Amino acid sequence: MGIHRARYLGIALALVCAGLMPLVSAAPKAEWMVTDNPIGHSGGRLVVALRSEPKTLNSVVAADTSSRDVIRCLTADLIHINRESEKTEPALAKTWSVSRDGRQYTLHLRRGLQFSDGQPFTADDVVFSFQVYLDEKIHSPQRDLLIVGGKPIAATKIDDATVRFDLAEPYAAAERIFDSLAILPKHLLESAYQSGNFSQAWGVGAAPTQLAGLGPFRLKEYVPGERMVLERNPYYWKEDRENHRLPYLDELVFLFVPSEDAQVIRFESGDTDVLSRFSAQNFSVLAKQQQEKSYRLFDLGPGLEYNFLFFNLNDLASKNLPDIAKKQAWFQDVRFRQAVSEAIDREGIVRLVYSGRATPLWGHVTPGNKLWMDAKVSHPARSLVQSRQLLASAGFTWKSDGSLVDAGGNAVDFSILASASNAQRVKMATIIQDDLSQLGMNVHVVTLDFGAMVDRLMKSYDYEAALMGLAGGDADPTPEMNVWLSNGSTHLWHLNEAKPATPWEADIDRLMEKQLVTLNYAARRKLYDRVQEIVAEDLPVICLASPNILVGAKDRVGNFEPATLDPYALWNVEQLYVR
Amino acid sequence: MKFLARRFAHAIVLLAAISFFSFALIQLAPGDFFDAMRVNPRISQKTIDGLRAEYGADKPFPIRYARWLRSLANGELGVSLAYNSPVGPILAVRARNTLLLTGVATLLAWLVAIPIGIWSAAKRGKFADRVAGAATSTLLTIPDLLLFLALLLLAVRTGWFPAGGMISPGLEDAGFWSKAGDIARHLVLPALGLAAVTLPMLVRHIRSAMIEVLEAPFIRAARGHGISRARLLWRYALPAASNPLISLLGFSIGTMLSASLLVEVVLSWPGLGPLLVEAILSRDVYVVVGAVLLSSVFLVAGNLIADLLLFAADPRIRLDSRGVNG
Amino acid sequence: MKRQHKLRVALVALAIFHFFILFAGFFAPYGFATQDRTMPFAPPTRLHFVDARGEFHMRPFVYAYAAASGAGDASYEEDRSRPFPVRLFTAGAPYRIAELIPAHTHLFGADEPGRVFLLGTDAFGRDQLSRFLYGGQLSLLAGLIAAALSVGIGIAVGAAAGFYGGWIDDALMRGSDLFFALPWLYLLFAVRAALPLHIPEWRVFLLIVGVIGLIGWARPARLIRGVVLSARERNFVTAARGFGASDAYLLRRHVLPQTYGVVLTQLALLIPQYVLAEVTLSFLGLGVGEPVPSWGSLLASLQQYDVLASYWWMFLPAALLIPLFFAYYAAADALQERLKSVSL
Repeated sequence: MGIHRARYLGIALALVCAGLMPLVSAAPKAEWMVTDNPIGHSGGRLVVALRSEPKTLNSVVAADTSSRDVIRCLTADLIHINRESEKTEPALAKTWSVSRDGRQYTLHLRRGLQFSDGQPFTADDVVFSFQVYLDEKIHSPQRDLLIVGGKPIAATKIDDATVRFDLAEPYAAAERIFDSLAILPKHLLESAYQSGNFSQAWGVGAAPTQLAGLGPFRLKEYVPGERMVLERNPYYWKEDRENHRLPYLDELVFLFVPSEDAQVIRFESGDTDVLSRFSAQNFSVLAKQQQEKSYRLFDLGPGLEYNFLFFNLNDLASKNLPDIAKKQAWFQDVRFRQAVSEAIDREGIVRLVYSGRATPLWGHVTPGNKLWMDAKVSHPARSLVQSRQLLASAGFTWKSDGSLVDAGGNAVDFSILASASNAQRVKMATIIQDDLSQLGMNVHVVTLDFGAMVDRLMKSYDYEAALMGLAGGDADPTPEMNVWLSNGSTHLWHLNEAKPATPWEADIDRLMEKQLVTLNYAARRKLYDRVQEIVAEDLPVICLASPNILVGAKDRVGNFEPATLDPYALWNVEQLYVR
Repeated sequence: MKFLARRFAHAIVLLAAISFFSFALIQLAPGDFFDAMRVNPRISQKTIDGLRAEYGADKPFPIRYARWLRSLANGELGVSLAYNSPVGPILAVRARNTLLLTGVATLLAWLVAIPIGIWSAAKRGKFADRVAGAATSTLLTIPDLLLFLALLLLAVRTGWFPAGGMISPGLEDAGFWSKAGDIARHLVLPALGLAAVTLPMLVRHIRSAMIEVLEAPFIRAARGHGISRARLLWRYALPAASNPLISLLGFSIGTMLSASLLVEVVLSWPGLGPLLVEAILSRDVYVVVGAVLLSSVFLVAGNLIADLLLFAADPRIRLDSRGVNG
Repeated sequence: MKRQHKLRVALVALAIFHFFILFAGFFAPYGFATQDRTMPFAPPTRLHFVDARGEFHMRPFVYAYAAASGAGDASYEEDRSRPFPVRLFTAGAPYRIAELIPAHTHLFGADEPGRVFLLGTDAFGRDQLSRFLYGGQLSLLAGLIAAALSVGIGIAVGAAAGFYGGWIDDALMRGSDLFFALPWLYLLFAVRAALPLHIPEWRVFLLIVGVIGLIGWARPARLIRGVVLSARERNFVTAARGFGASDAYLLRRHVLPQTYGVVLTQLALLIPQYVLAEVTLSFLGLGVGEPVPSWGSLLASLQQYDVLASYWWMFLPAALLIPLFFAYYAAADALQERLKSVSL
């Protein structure tokens, strides 16, 4: 080899290296999530109906369901609850680790992701988001969920792709906190936050160019009173197994159709492609035309909603309600409540109110909650004889005309409050009224609009009994704790207790506090089972029924896998496609 | 001139009173906007109180009313608690949609009612009159709600008309004429329904007013002069019968923003109706007051127009508008 | 002659209708709250005269209905094994005539456990015919009261405004505008929500209807005012005044008779309209509480799409109303013609 050849070799090597340099020094590939769904194809538009217009696109202040439904399609969270399995899975955070004492969660974010406007997503956005959610001046409805052990969660940036969260106490359901907590773009919202106008930012009047998110779609158009149109987010961070970038759909249109019946009609006539949560009666009507109109209906079994009857057990000393106070002597006797519970025709309710598409309940956790329902809770059959025995043992007697009187000779006469806008609950109240008349009780059904009813339940305490329903948004018992803790804000039957009024309430308090900090699922399970059994024995609420989740979709909607957790139809919206 | 100025001044006072009373009435109904959140186990009392303070909803009634008046002076109608944005633009869009619907429906109703009313009066007692009477009575006895639901059922079963809404999805980028045509197609059913429920009353009143006039001597005299029947009806009788009709017209105009509530809710027409119902149920105070005020403006305008027309049309009133004793 | 005939026919029809409703307890086979949970949304029971063997019976009979299919779909089949004859003057559920006299004889009924639901049943298996008759008691009373209130106030206000003119006119008309413009819906919600829990349902209902009647005087007042305005300028009024007639005399003798036409039209239209306004109330949840029926609550169930599309017999109460309102309108028309020819 001569000098010349060596030089040529050197130059050639240098050239090759230069050629290879870009490849070597290129940024690592973005860490997208690969999903497991059946493969679809891109294109097409889906039309979905919304019961009311979204009030805002600002996920920090949004409180109503319509806004949240739309926001869910525009944003992404760190850890997501899979609606089908009801368990958590990675989202923007690809992995995470928990410290031994359960107080530190270190989340590793996916690298290389971008917002829908192309700007990069980093840990700064996460820290900013949590700062806003926790800001006391903004009064976000999400804020209270982020308070653990009396102190707000602290988010600290470790590096561009790692964030550490510090909790004051170990918290069993910590992972689930992150679900639906949308991560906001710091570059777009920081100025609004600094100037103190954050709550007004991103209202429905905002131009699409002002918004950005990490969800599968971004806003395209909003026509007030008509519809909101979303288009595919070209920067979305999920792809299917064959490397097709998700979402499949080009456009997602939310049509505002204010009543359920109108939604059913428009679904039937082809205006909308997906129908979410409709009544059992409409199911029967729609079922007749499934073939001709090319759609499929799904009865998914019970969800998490539980409807219940409860009595006014509040402390009425400071209120001027002598009549109700006298009746509380009946309500406070557990035998009275048990008698009422045994007299209610739950099968009749399921058959008449829900056309058979519901499950009777004796406890507040429904069969739809696969992880937490206690199957040991007793299901006594309806027995008027039993009810009468219970009432007799509590000192009640019957007059010759059949009416029930208490030990003091007062006729048992009370009213059940129900929200006028919920036809099912009014029907349930009517059935209960008839059932209890067979025990000699004179029951009135009083329907009020929701606002007036809430006022009576929570401010003036001017009611005797009420019929309500709660739809737990999550299977885990912790988010609903305020219902069961004696000092909880929604401890409906007895609000503002300074200390537990009864021993069993004290028991429930103890058990719930314990399960909050127990990290082992089996141990938590045992504690919560006991809570369910206490509720079923002492009946602060008399549970009635849980309606089945009913959804429908046109045949042409692919990958439609409705789940029993909200959002039932669109939880996997990025995987939906049009055949 | 004086008459006009006085009426105008009255109108302003009336509107002020309306705003005050509707504001006050809203306080009567227990519960406010933020109460709906109280039943949510995930939101604490503190957050709700904070929100309430932020919107000034915890201040006593006089202070809130004063604040609202002040913003009204600036041309704003307050802020919607639900939408978190000014009430004015929200109302403007919805009012426009409602006016489109009621305008078409009112025009239709009057255009059909006048000839039928006159004809019935002319053919009084005869077969044609009885048929018309039976038809209008039937329409009257059918509850509005039922009629609208029947139209909805018609749309669904036949597919000839859209089953609700104002514009079909997918036409965002279409040209003006195709959009107009699309809106017209969506307008047919609600406008027909609304016209159908307002028609019977109109026909009855027109007929009854015409009958009274037709019995007057001057009509017989005119007939004796050989004036043709058609001319008689339209040029002589109708103007004389105009008194109650003008009042009715005033009503029609005055209720243009409020009459369509039911049809908008049933047929999903995006007008003021559904907005108002939702605002009432959720206690979105400023939206309700703003919508009521807007409707009142129309009402007052309608009455004003009716009074002016009455003044101009009926000389008997013009002579002395200060009472019998002058 | 024809006019009198028409009036008489209309009044007789109205009397018969009201008679049926007044004695609803007798004409209705069942109580209004009696639920039969095995038969929700059952179609009208068919009356048979010829049995399965082909024999003709003078007395009609019915078969029991059994649910045909499973979950939800309420379709029924007749069980032809056992006929239940329908008899007249049966003993049934106790009721009170005019709230005073207890009785338990009903016009007709089927042998137990057979059921004769001539108009079908509702969501709770309650007999629609019985509920229609009992509901009429409440609805008609409410309509009458509300209409009387509206027109009464309307006459007082409209006549005063039109007759005296000037500031009285302005004040009254502005007052009526105020009334008309107020969000009455809100007022109703407020009234309903503010009431104590212990008022019997029917009283709540009457209160709400009373409120509507009170609010609704604006329209009759305006119409009457318009007529009075021109009536007072008539020659005979001026002449009478020249003779020294007082305001009261003028009003009573000369001016108000001019308004009878409008008043009667309004009354005849308002009674059925206020009965129909109930439907809107029930639609928005302001109707009478369960289980007391009113015509509004009977019809409000039709707002649900499944009822509208599948259960045609739920329309029948609405169909039964049409001849009643017809009779009202016909009576009003005939009365109007009568008075017209009498006055002047």
